[in-house]
Amino acid sequence: MHELALVEGIISNVIDLAHERKGHVVSFKVAIGEFAQFDKKLIKDLLVELVKGTELERAKMTVEIEKAEIKCLYCNSKWKVNELLEPLSNDQKEMIHFLPELLNSFTKCPNCGKSDFEIEKGRSVRVVEVELNV
Amino acid sequence: MSKTNTSLDFREGIIRKRLDKINRTILVTSGKGGVGKSMVATTMAASMAKSGMKVGLLDADVYGPSSAFIFKVKDLPREDRHGLLPPVSNGVKVMSLDLFVKGKPLPISGKGARQIIKELLALTEWGDLDFLIVDTPPGTGDVLMTLIKTLGNKSSSIVVTLPTALSTSIVRRVIELLLSSQIPILGVLENMSYIASSKTRPIQSSEGKSLASEFGVKFLGELPIDYEASKVADAGDMQSLLKTDFARALVISLEKLNLIKNVELS
Repeated sequence: MHELALVEGIISNVIDLAHERKGHVVSFKVAIGEFAQFDKKLIKDLLVELVKGTELERAKMTVEIEKAEIKCLYCNSKWKVNELLEPLSNDQKEMIHFLPELLNSFTKCPNCGKSDFEIEKGRSVRVVEVELNV
Repeated sequence: MSKTNTSLDFREGIIRKRLDKINRTILVTSGKGGVGKSMVATTMAASMAKSGMKVGLLDADVYGPSSAFIFKVKDLPREDRHGLLPPVSNGVKVMSLDLFVKGKPLPISGKGARQIIKELLALTEWGDLDFLIVDTPPGTGDVLMTLIKTLGNKSSSIVVTLPTALSTSIVRRVIELLLSSQIPILGVLENMSYIASSKTRPIQSSEGKSLASEFGVKFLGELPIDYEASKVADAGDMQSLLKTDFARALVISLEKLNLIKNVELS
């Protein structure tokens, strides 16, 4: 599980932003893209653990799931995550968990049969909001 | 108090940390396809590892990855809490998209290619490295632009060309891009200059040397068309590849840059 590296990256991002703006972080919000298939509770628990001893220790943290939107660029159909991932093997799902663009290698559009998807929303993990006391 | 809506990419923080543990990053690039970048990158990585250095190879050719094939690596990268641990072959840590898709097509858009490169750089736990060699795809598109932006001043480059005016006309563009992006060019290598077995030159020209001189960069030397090297690369036999005329000529070129020393190839 590479969640540890991910959460370290999030913390380092938020601290860098606070330093850049010369502020103190009051709260921050993390959006986990549905497509990335991360466990929300695990990310939250790791955040709580890893901010200990950092300047984010007292900041309020929110973790939310961002619904994914996937579009076939060939026929413009829109798909939900499950509609595309469900037929795949666990190994293929795991590859997509690491590298979402591999969706194009493992599946085809149920409508037109082409492999030309774009993940419009909910691809990965992002810090979407930071409240600073400047 | 100020609330800022952001879109902070967690990968950038991780990539910075990972790069801190890598002494030097070298992009093997060309602009032109079919010049032998992957043969140069893989042979270079293996010969450096053989000389005792800690080396990683990132196959950034997202459309036609071939490093895993040349290194005969089939294992999936192992996952731990810190990231993906690349499989090791011939002393080189190898990361390639082909380890994930095993020969399946890679219909990847430009935007997708940018994401994949960032993801591979963020996910791969290289550990401490003396060198990270990056095998780049042809062209000056999204992948090269992302590598330049992400690796920035941590990287330098080696440019591979062929002894033809057509190759020069294309490779010139990548040299201009690298120079304008402040990526140092360690030198130009001319591949397929002569036939290894007979030492004959199918094309009488010194395009590589002229190209290097035009931009004031070092000419590192000529590499042969080596049928034996192709044969052993096809078999994924890196130890035999290191004993070929191609590898010997490459090592002589790398010695000019002090990138390698005391390596016994045969």
